[in-house]
Amino acid sequence: MKNRLKVLRAERDWSQADLADRLEVSRQTVNAIETGKYDPSLPLAFKIGRLFEQPIETIFDDEAA
Amino acid sequence: MALSQTRSSAVKRYMRRFIPAMGLYIVVLFASLYAIKAMAATGLLLWILAVAPAMPILAVIAIMGLYIAEETDELPRAVMVQSMLWGIGLTLAAATVWGFLENADLVPHLSSFLIFPIFCAAMGLAQPFVWRQYR
Repeated sequence: MKNRLKVLRAERDWSQADLADRLEVSRQTVNAIETGKYDPSLPLAFKIGRLFEQPIETIFDDEAA
Repeated sequence: MALSQTRSSAVKRYMRRFIPAMGLYIVVLFASLYAIKAMAATGLLLWILAVAPAMPILAVIAIMGLYIAEETDELPRAVMVQSMLWGIGLTLAAATVWGFLENADLVPHLSSFLIFPIFCAAMGLAQPFVWRQYR
């Protein structure tokens, strides 16, 4: 699923590893979500939203081509 | 099994259980084979000695299940579950084909204790391909 994780991460100057630590997942999980290859579970998506203080739908776009 | 580059606590727990279980398996297997012959076991004793090597393998199956239950990092968990499904599918397919070939005396009989190592091998082979979808 298309998402703005990479941008949000860059705004905070976090590496994938930094974000992974904050989400309590591995760096490859963050990378797979960021590249749109893996869709996170609803609990992880909420965790991401909470971390960036944004609703899930402004981070993930399920309608992108 | 190669799970992921970063070793989660679930992976560490898995290894701490898996390695002793496999060690125990080897010890029990040889002890069982030796004892059945040396004691010329029969009856209940033979049943107990014969089934003994299966016990650590049953433990390994439970240990694999515990890993799935305990892994909190969802991508490696999903990869493991998908790899297990590939392992199950390939093993069922191989066992079915082999069974019919065996029926026609085209291939020799294989003991069913080989099913689990075949499943493990198939799962292990599937893992890098499953991972590739997410890289």
